[in-house]
Order: sequence, then C-alpha cells, then structure tokens
Amino acid sequence: MNRITQHPVLEVKSRQEVGFTFDGIAYKGFENEPVSSALFANGIKEFSIHKKDDAPQGIFCANGQCSQCTVIINGMPFKSCVTPLKQDMDIITLRHVPELPHDDNADFDQKIEVIKTAVLIIGGGPSGLTSALELAELGFNIVIVEDKDKLGGKLLLQTHKFFGSQEDSYAGMRGFEIAELLESKILKNKNITVLYESSIVGVYKDKKAGVYKNNGKYSLIDFEGMIVSAGAREKSLVFQGNDLSGVYGAGAFQTLVNRDMIKSSDKVFIVGSGNVGLIAAYHALQAGIGVVGIIDIMDNVSGYKVHADKIRRMGVPIHLKTTILAAFGHEKVEKVTIAEVDDNWNPLLETAKTYETDTLLIATGLTPADEFYDTADRFGFKVIKTGDTDEIAEASSAMFGGRIAGLKMAKLLGKDIDIDPSFYEKSEILKSKPGEVFNPKTIVIKENFTPIFQCFQEIPCDPCVTVCPKGCISLKGKFGNILDIPEYTVDECSNCGLCVAVCPGLAVSLARKIDEETAEVILPHEYILNFITGDKIDITDIDGEILEKAEVIHTKFNKKYKTHLITVKMSLKNAHKAIGIRMQDKKITEHYHDTLLNFLPENGIVCRCERVSVKEIIDFIREFKVRDINQLKQIRVGMGACGSKTCSILLPKIFKQAGIDFTKVSLGTLRPLTVEVPMNSLIDKQGN
Amino acid sequence: MKHFDAIIIGAGSVGLPLSYYLSLKGNDVAVIDKNHSYGRGENRAAIGGIRATHSDPAKIKICQLSIDIIKDIEESHGISVNWIEGGYLYPIFEAEKEKSLKELLVKQKSYGLNIDWISPEEIIKLVPGINPNGLLGGTYSPHDGYASPLKTAGAYYKLSLKAGTTFYFDEEVVSMQRDGDKITSVKTDKREITADIYINAAGGYAREIGQMCGLDLPVYPDSHEAGVTEPVKHFFKPMVVDLRSDNQSANFYYYQNEDGQILFCVTPEPSILGKDADSTSEFLPLISRRMIALHPRLKNIRVRRTWRGMYPMTPDGFPIVGRPKDISNMFLAVGMCGQGFMLGPGLGKIISEIIVNKTDKYNLILDQLSLYRKFEGNEMLK
Repeated sequence: MNRITQHPVLEVKSRQEVGFTFDGIAYKGFENEPVSSALFANGIKEFSIHKKDDAPQGIFCANGQCSQCTVIINGMPFKSCVTPLKQDMDIITLRHVPELPHDDNADFDQKIEVIKTAVLIIGGGPSGLTSALELAELGFNIVIVEDKDKLGGKLLLQTHKFFGSQEDSYAGMRGFEIAELLESKILKNKNITVLYESSIVGVYKDKKAGVYKNNGKYSLIDFEGMIVSAGAREKSLVFQGNDLSGVYGAGAFQTLVNRDMIKSSDKVFIVGSGNVGLIAAYHALQAGIGVVGIIDIMDNVSGYKVHADKIRRMGVPIHLKTTILAAFGHEKVEKVTIAEVDDNWNPLLETAKTYETDTLLIATGLTPADEFYDTADRFGFKVIKTGDTDEIAEASSAMFGGRIAGLKMAKLLGKDIDIDPSFYEKSEILKSKPGEVFNPKTIVIKENFTPIFQCFQEIPCDPCVTVCPKGCISLKGKFGNILDIPEYTVDECSNCGLCVAVCPGLAVSLARKIDEETAEVILPHEYILNFITGDKIDITDIDGEILEKAEVIHTKFNKKYKTHLITVKMSLKNAHKAIGIRMQDKKITEHYHDTLLNFLPENGIVCRCERVSVKEIIDFIREFKVRDINQLKQIRVGMGACGSKTCSILLPKIFKQAGIDFTKVSLGTLRPLTVEVPMNSLIDKQGN
Repeated sequence: MKHFDAIIIGAGSVGLPLSYYLSLKGNDVAVIDKNHSYGRGENRAAIGGIRATHSDPAKIKICQLSIDIIKDIEESHGISVNWIEGGYLYPIFEAEKEKSLKELLVKQKSYGLNIDWISPEEIIKLVPGINPNGLLGGTYSPHDGYASPLKTAGAYYKLSLKAGTTFYFDEEVVSMQRDGDKITSVKTDKREITADIYINAAGGYAREIGQMCGLDLPVYPDSHEAGVTEPVKHFFKPMVVDLRSDNQSANFYYYQNEDGQILFCVTPEPSILGKDADSTSEFLPLISRRMIALHPRLKNIRVRRTWRGMYPMTPDGFPIVGRPKDISNMFLAVGMCGQGFMLGPGLGKIISEIIVNKTDKYNLILDQLSLYRKFEGNEMLK
C-alpha cells in the first residue's frame, strides 16, 4: 500500500477500512477518503481512456475542477477526486464516454431551495474565512460555500510554519493548524452558515448563484453582496509528454500527500522554484519521497531564499536557467529531460540531461480563479475579490486582505464604519515579494549560547523576534517593519531554543564555544529522526554543502512548533556556518549517462479535456486567421468539462508562438456552468 | 473609397454562405461584422438542427437545398461540419396536435418533404427511454439532421476567404448614405466603402441596420436559452421536438451530436424580448424538468454549459427575403426567427443566383417571404 505511515508533522489517524473493486479486482481503502486517493494508495494511477486517442488519463488537479480523474462508480461517472469512498463500490475505468444508465424513473416533486443571505463568500480559504469573521462580527449573515469537507483551503495542505507576524497572521504556526483555528471560530459564529463539499456552478443575471453539493443537491443563493475568495489555479506547461500520467500540479501533490496521506510517488521532479515548488519538495521529503531536482528557467530562485536554502540543505539540487524539454515513459512518466537555456530562454541541447523520476510536478505559478468576480462585476453586483483571487501572495497576506475585504463589503452594504489605515499598510507588507539579499556578518561564537541567523533576504517575517522571552532579537534594516532582517541585539540569551523552533525558514541555530577547537550547535530539524544520540551525521552550511560529520549529543522535541532541536558537537571553525542536516542520498539526484533528445514540443497538450495539441492550435490559428479565442472552439479548445480553466492560461504563449500579438486577440466567453451538474439535481417542481 | 460588387452586413449564419456564393460567382465581396470573428452573433448560439420540416413551401424548399449543400461541404470540400442525418421527430401527446400535424403532413408531402406519421412503438425504438405515457405517435422526417454551427461557420469562412471575400471584423456599421432610391455608401467606425448592392444579413440587429436607410423592418429579437451536456454513448439519433407548452415555456428540442453531447434549447413563454444574452437562474430547472418529463433517462446526464441566444422574430414567424420597393440596390435576408443556421446555406445560394444571374425561378419564395406581405399567418413549426 502506498500510504504514509509516519510523518514528522502530521498525525497518522486510524480510519475505517472498506472494500471496493476496480475493474473487477478487490482492493481496500479508507471509508470517505477520495476514491482517487484510495486508487493511488493501491498503485492505480490510470482512471480513464480518452475518447480522442485512447490516451490513459490520470490525476491532474485533484481539486474537483478538471474532471480528468472521472471513473465509473456503480454505473455512473464521477470525478474520483471529490467522491468519498464507500464500502463495496464497484469502480471501473471510464473508456471514452460513459453510457447513461437505463433508469427511466424521475422525481418531479423536488423543489430547489433558495437560501437568502447578506453576503455570499465563495471559497473557505484564509481570505474567505477572515472576511466572514469580520462581517459576522458586524452582524451580517454569511453563507460560505466551500468545495471541500473542511475549511481552510490550501492552509490545510501546508505542513510548514508560516511566515508573517505572530500578531497579525499566526506566523510560526503551521498551515493546517491555522485552518483548524479559523474553522473553530467560524463554526462558533451563529451568523455564519457553511455549505461544505459545495461548488458555485454559476452566477446568474437575476442576482442568484447556483450551488451544487457534490453528487447531490442543487440550490440557489439569493445574496446582497458577494466576496470571491476562490483562490487560484495552478498554471500548466506545454512540453512533449505533458499529458503523461504522473505529470500534475504541485497543489495536487500536496493534496495527495498532506491531506490524504498517500505516498503518491517514489521520487518527484519539480518544475518551478517559487514558494509552491520549494515547499512541494519539502513536503515530499517529509513524506519519505525523494526529490530528484528542481528547475527554473529564471536565473534566480523565485521563492523565499530561506525556503530554497532549506531544500538545498536536505540534498535537493536547484538547477537555474534550466527548462524542461520532455517527459518520457510508457503511458506514465518514467524519465524527464532538461536543458540549460540561453539568455533568450532557448534550450541549449548540448547541456541536456535525463533523470529517472515517476512524478513530474508543475509549479510554474498560479493564476487567480476570478471568473465569478468578473461575471458579478459585469452584472453590476456588489462584489469584492480577495486572497489569491485578487492577487497571488502568501496565505499570511490573504488572511489580512480578507479582513479588509470583509470591512469593505460591510461599507458597500451600508454599514458606517472606518477601516483602520494601518490595515492597508500591513496588508501591503505581507504581500511583499522577496527583497534584497545581504551578505552574512562576521560571527564570534561565545561561551554562552547565542542565536545565529542564516536569514539574509528581506521577507515579511518576525516570529523569532516576538517569540524570544528575553527580547534579545530585533529586526534591523531600511524598512522599520517586518521586512527587515533579524539580529541578536540584547545579550541575554537563555538558550530556550524557541527562536530555533519557531523559524519557518529553519534558519536559526544556537551555538556556543566549548574550547578553541570545538563548539556545540543546536539545529532545527523537521523530519522523522533517523539517528540517535551518539550517531555522526552530515552537517551542512546554508547552501547545502556538507561541512563535516558531527556527533549528536542531544535531541529534544518542541511540541508546540513540532520541531526537533538537535544538539551536535562540531568544530568551532564550522559552527557559525552550520544550519542543516543532510537528509537525502545524493544518488537520487544523479542523471543518466545518456540523454534522450527525441522531443517534439508541438505534441504538447494544451487543452487537456479535449486533448488538443500545440500544433493543432497553431495550425488552426494560422489557417483561420484567429483573432478571437472563441474561434478555437471549432477545434474544441475550451469545450471540455473544465470550461477552459487550464488551457486559457496557456493560450497567450501559444498565440505568441503562432506569431500573433495576444493583446489583439479577444478573449473567450465564459458561461455557466463551471462544474458539470446532473440534470436530476437541477429539476424544479413546476408551479412556483 | 473602396468599391465592391457587394457588401454584406453580418458574418453570420446567412451572411457567410452568401458571401461565399457571391464570391464564387466572381464578385468582389466585403463582409462587415461588429464582432471579433465570424458566427459570433447568433450562429454561436444555434444548437445545430437543420430540417426541411416546415409548414410552408418556401422554407421547405430552402432547407432542402441547405441539407444538400451541407452534405456536399463534406463530400466536395472535405471539411467536416459534423453533419448527421438523424431525422426530426415530433412526438405528440395531444389529440388536437395530432389532428393538425396530420393535416399539415398532407401539405408537407405535397411540397416534396419526406415525412410520415409513426407509431408510439416506432418512436420508442428511435428514442429509447422516452416517456410512453400518453404518447400518440408523431411525425418523423428521416432526411433532416444536424451539424455543428461553429464548424459550419468556420467552413464557410474558409471557403469564402479562398474565394476572395474581404472580411472587416470588429467594425460596426454606423450609417448608410442614401440618395433617392439608392444606397451610396456604408460607413463603419473605421472606413467608408461602396458597392453595387448592399445586403442586410444583420440577424438580431437587422432592424437597426434597416433604420439607417429608412426601412422599418419588423424584426424583434427575443431570447432563447440553450445548453450542452457531457458526452455519453450514443443512444438516440433524431432531433426531438416537444411542441407542448407549460406555464414557463413553449416548445423545446434536443439531440445528441457527433461527440455524444446532448444539445438542448427551450422557447420561454412569455417571450423574453430584447438582446440580453446573460443566463438567468430559471432556465436550468425549467429545461431539466421538461426534458426529464419527456425523456426520463436523461436525468443522470450532467449539464456542462448553458447560454442564451436571440431569435430575430417577425410577426408571423417567417423570414423576410427580397428587395425593398424603394431602394433598388438593397437586398434583405433578415428575420430568420431562430432558423438562420438551417436556412443560411440554401438562402445564400438562392440569393446569389437572384442577384447575379437575375433568375426568376425563386419568385414564389420571394413572394411568400416579401417584406410587403400582411404578416397575418403563423408558422406552426416555429
């Protein structure tokens, strides 16, 4: 079974086992886990056969959006990633298209419920929840529509400690812990109703929104104001083999690993060095999954430096100025070929290298899921967007932005309130992109423990300052706010270890001099311990270079921050540089001797639902002089179940490849529904 | 000022075929459309039915020609438009309707239409899972069918381009200059051009274009809503038309296309006048109730997308085709009443022959569809 049975941060809960069959063979899974995860746990990663070319289809979004994971369950098609597993389910591969069951009874007494509310909040992630709390506090009735069975959105998938400030955005806590905290606040509030496992499927001109509860009931919500906090979608990428089973988004990976506790892969390769890609690598390692490497076409890591440093220390190489040429494999990813690029991002084929991997994660950025905002705005409704739907940023800023959105909505609905100007300021700070990187200062290790900060880049983060009981740590720099860099300013360190345990970047150590040769260093560690006191372990510097083997003399677990504090004895000369413990065997990151170079980028798939390739689209653009995205519907681009959620993001690049200025191309028309709904759920008794 | 042999206003279901046939006959043709590309008016909203099953000789004749042409596009030009000869089925549940359709059948046959009354058993065979309660039988015309409006528009655009037509997209006609009984030029927001003949094929905007040259065209759009489902295994072939009404709607119709998706459309009652193309929350519950009542097996199919389109209606439900009396170089091809897609190919060919070859063999059609008729009748099969 491909399940995660131990995890350094997440609790492995015992669950009810149930039996099911897949294509006639009996398997076991956990009751109510998504069918897709039960299949993955049993090593089944192909769910359907595409009607166009018989290509096997695997998981892609794991988020109920794309419908690529559809299987036939008890005779009916369902998206397996949002269908809970039940005892005795008869699941079969969907071949081409499903057959309608010969069931000719119908219920005509069903009435569609109309739910009235002051504010409809679409999406129960960090920004949606904080906006709901602000509005509920002011007495407004709220309906939150959330497509999962828990609140928190992507916070639920985050096992790392958060950046930001403890005061305003729960910094130092882990994402899933923040989610639990917010959910409990929401559920205690009588003004807030949460519709779980429900998706908004359409916003209609008559100021109603259609909501569909997974595999069940369709209702209408009659609202005065709407907050769209639907988050963002992962950008896809076009390359040869991008349609192979095993190529999916980093978000889908986090869902499988951190929510469903599935060991989805043995080793992953990651495209994109933003925070999402970096964190995916960190999550993989925590789950016992190898990380072959991370690539980025840019010449700098695009995420936080502390994240990248942390990943490198574990033994994961980050290849910059590098692109993916192709993924290969028989029906699923087995190998990936990358190459360095020149200044115009053209691949240098002579630098190509091929690696073995079973999963390729795409983490090349996010795009706002803002279509409901656009529709509501066009209809003239009172609507506000917040969180990633407004601007892609960290969850810490989303939580703050959500509060502002809530207050703004209250004003729109006529409440006479003032919004504290400092809110906007803080929100801007939390949104800040990674700033300047400074050189390390000279460090003199003393006889008493003092903290050493391997934190040299301006990012919005200050928990080390606020956690210190003695007030020894201050931020220094040009901003005068949490973007500045920490320094040990008051020499009263009591060696409590809290700054080491709380730091989201794992960038703080404590060190003391024992004699002129040796030192003791306390390092943070967020993995299951594979060593004990007395063992010698590889200690690395900030860039992941191994400094020396050092002896473990003590280990301590900080329960609040779920972080191990490992004390090692090492040479004094290296002590100030020590910050990490090497986790991953170098072998996993090595490439093949020979490189596969028979790639045809034009076969890359753009529209996944209908499997339309780059070449088909470019040929059509040229032949039909396409200047209107709607024309592409002729070759079925955007006509699939997902409603162009994935391909629309890729199209600007495709038009550019076809030699067309995309700014002169008119955009496609988006219409309801955004998620397919069975007709039986939509029926309404006549005579209202 | 650039001069053309013909200027067509509207690159839609009617304007596109017409531009092709005129260009093919060696004319220098310009097509103006305010949208970004072809077929973005109401063609995009059509679900694809093409039937010769009408109640009058003119439309039967035009649509028979359309069917021949659509088949030929695939055969002669190798362009697929997803044509399927699935037939049209009108299942009947009301004795009164049975009587009137059986009477109409005699007329339809006399105009050369292949159509017959079939039994409930035959209907159940054609449409497995249809509700048999109260089913009296129905008319079935096996040579009708359906094609993809998108692909058909694309096909005509491609053929037209190849035949030399000039397309001006993203250009709105702002005025037409008239001197006595002649139009002297047409002005868009980007240019002014002239032609020997000006053709109004502006669909839902035909009335506005008419007003620019002093014509009062009785063309009033109303909204119809349509949708499409996920694809499922093929299980019925005909376009099914339910002529019954309830308190929210008049007729509705649906079919399963080449990809296995079911396309459906309903006529709201009372009519929703105007050009608003945005969906309301009322459509899906209504159409789901009606479709499942007629065909319960559809209850498990998942609806993928919905949209709204306009029927440019005339008072009697028949199009307006021909020259206005007092403007000698204008031709009208307007008021298609939601049937532009099925009428377009045939009409395009006929109008090109009337304009270029000055033929009089279509005079009966022109008489029937004249702007100067009394608009007193009522098309039974709107």
